[in-house]
Amino acid sequence: MSQEMFDKLAQAVIDGESEDAEALAKQALEQKLDPLACITNGLTVGIQKTGELFASGEYYLPELIIGADAMKAAMQILEPALLSGQEREVTGTIVIGTVEGDLHEIGKTLVGTMMTANGFRVIDLGTDIPSADFIDAVKESGANLVGASALLTTTMLQQEKLISSLKDAGLREQVKVMVGGAPVTASYAKQIGADGYAEDAISAVDLAMRLIDAPA
Amino acid sequence: MIKLEEKKASIKPIKSKLKVEVLNKQEIDGINQGARSVMQDIGIIFPSKKALNIFAEAGAEVDFETEVVKLPADLVEKHLKKAPRAYDLCGRRPELDAKLGQDKGTHYFTSGEAPKIVDFETGERRLSVKADIANMAKVANYLDIVSLIWPTVSASDKGVAAPLHGLEACFNNNEKHIQTESVMDEVSAKYAIEMASVVAGSLEALKERPLHSILLCCIQPLAQDRGGIESAMVYAEAGLPIGFMSMPTLGLTGPPYSAGSLVTAFAEVLSGVVLTQIINPGTPNFVSIIPSLLNPRTGAYFMGSSPAQITSASAVQIAHSNGLPITACMSFGGSQWKLNNWQIGIENSWVHLLTVMSGADMSFGPSGMYEAVSLLDMQRIMFDREIVQAIDIISDGIEVNEQTLALDMIKKIGHHGMYLSQKETAKQTRKLWPPSILFEPPTNSEERYRNPVDVAHETIEWILKNHKPQPLSDDVRKELRKIVDTADEDETLKKEVQGAK
Ligand code: B1M
Repeated sequence: MSQEMFDKLAQAVIDGESEDAEALAKQALEQKLDPLACITNGLTVGIQKTGELFASGEYYLPELIIGADAMKAAMQILEPALLSGQEREVTGTIVIGTVEGDLHEIGKTLVGTMMTANGFRVIDLGTDIPSADFIDAVKESGANLVGASALLTTTMLQQEKLISSLKDAGLREQVKVMVGGAPVTASYAKQIGADGYAEDAISAVDLAMRLIDAPA
Repeated sequence: MIKLEEKKASIKPIKSKLKVEVLNKQEIDGINQGARSVMQDIGIIFPSKKALNIFAEAGAEVDFETEVVKLPADLVEKHLKKAPRAYDLCGRRPELDAKLGQDKGTHYFTSGEAPKIVDFETGERRLSVKADIANMAKVANYLDIVSLIWPTVSASDKGVAAPLHGLEACFNNNEKHIQTESVMDEVSAKYAIEMASVVAGSLEALKERPLHSILLCCIQPLAQDRGGIESAMVYAEAGLPIGFMSMPTLGLTGPPYSAGSLVTAFAEVLSGVVLTQIINPGTPNFVSIIPSLLNPRTGAYFMGSSPAQITSASAVQIAHSNGLPITACMSFGGSQWKLNNWQIGIENSWVHLLTVMSGADMSFGPSGMYEAVSLLDMQRIMFDREIVQAIDIISDGIEVNEQTLALDMIKKIGHHGMYLSQKETAKQTRKLWPPSILFEPPTNSEERYRNPVDVAHETIEWILKNHKPQPLSDDVRKELRKIVDTADEDETLKKEVQGAK
């Protein structure tokens, strides 16, 4: 019975059916199934399979995003129902955003999506994000990673500002900082004291794994 | 070989005998109506109080909370009508004016603001600096295929006033029209206009002969950039030309259809044009549409893809139906291809053929760019020049008249003869075999031709060493320096550029 529900949840993610995923999550709670098990054995299995289909070239980006959306829809029902002390297993938690003054969204969103598909909890703040908002989100979520995207020569300076703000807020030891975007280079990342730079979304996931010593 | 001799700067727009019309009247109407219904019913976000007030006063439906402006169709029509179809983007001398909408053909220009460059000496990639802008401005001054320029890379060594340093480097090393795409806040805009006024002689002289303009991007989908819009309003007040660009990525920041992406793109750019026309009726406006695809496996950016470019060619008809000049069909430095590969050459060839055939007023052509406008390799501009030259020849078609039918010659040579010894052949050969970097005699017998990359490198080296753009007077140079120095120290500018949230 419960395995049947897990399979259905996984399939809803693979098929990218948000409404089904949400309805199934509600049904699961009505049937008194363990929400954590529904996440771990259903949704996570589904997103992992979606990620595999993407990696093998069978799925394209829209399918990956639609799958992640379906997962999110079910998660919104299941997460609040977790018992106290229960926590879903995640590879890591990352607060990600494009820095203040910068509205380039595509690369940052892709990085976020790839990280979701690889088991990270992703708090995507959006674009034009002041350092203070990154700090608040880290405090709230207990994230162990911060990702800052910058696409402009004039806004990449904000990545450095973010790092010093994290220091000022006493959070620099808690998080590893990743940076990326068109004007950013590995040596610039080093120069501003970031922990790593990634050229694209796939290497961003590898980098994140390495930074937090997650098993690949 | 390109004839390397010192010469005065000149420009050469390309006029095509070959024409392509992608859309019929009904299709044009459909897209125009779609854009108007989006402006009227969904609206566009203008995140600027000043802009919102101006719209409200002009009769638009403004929601100050969400910053959404809904523009009734009659309001759009009323203001669009005031935008001129024909005007000049002036250079320092009248021979260097890019004459838009005057049947002169397509004016090519360098795209710009790449954050990285391939170092000309070492071949290594690095962040670009102000000196690189100066060098490339000089090269662009020399090549006649370039009608106007953007600062081709960014001055990463100059902090938040980098866009103004870029302009300074261009004014000092280039006599053609100089456009910015990075002066994106109100404070920097005032400095930029002050600089252009100094070069022109006065603000009045600048208005009379605008040798500087701005292009800003709308934020897809259906929004504007606060900084960009506030900068554009300053340019509008000064009566300088303003372009609005939309860059929908099909299926990402625009619908997955060409037509739908043109609807959103035109809703965005026309809403910007309306704003600047309300502020200063008659402001010279142009629009620019750069559709793209994304690689569905990696997310890499594809501007030069065929669906994207046929969409851009269609945009030319839409812009013209709205009475506006357009910058269209550009590789803009190509898709995210890496250095020195053939894909980028293929893309550029058909992209620029479409440009001239569709009758775009302007296009980013000879840019030297790679990796979707994020990396400049100076020597590549010689390959772009080569492509545009070929397109010039193709788009000229062939001439058919008494002389070219050549019946006399045919009779004279008769059977089995050769045309090589004819005077006319000698003359025509110059035309059939224009200057090129592709067919240089080899330095060793194993090769058929010299490596064109080496030839391109030497050409650029020669230009950098020998070409002397007509200098600005010492007083003007000093004045420009002073303005940029002041900007460097300006705290309000720092706050503006780094976001004032
Ligand atoms: C956390 O860790 C990480 C790790 C890896 C990370 C990471 C974070 N973030 C990114 N990565 C990496 O992984 C991602 C996935 O593979 C990659 O992300 P990317 O973002 O690089 O790649 C994406 C998948 C696809 N790439 C993109 O989406 C960016 C492509 C280019 C062409 C680009 C686009 C599309 C846009 N733009 Co803009 N734009 C350009 C870009 C040129 C370029 N080649 O980068 C660039 C960045 N833009 C530029 C400019 C000037 C501007 N743009 C502007 C606007 C726009 C659009 C809105 C039109 C549009 C963005 C649409 C959107 N909703 O996001 C304006 C600024 C607006 C603002 N305030 O931010 C405006 C100022 C133009 C204007 N006149 O208004 C130039 C910057 C110049 C400079 N040196 O500063 C530019 C290099 C193009 C150019 N040469 O003109 C990697 O970098």
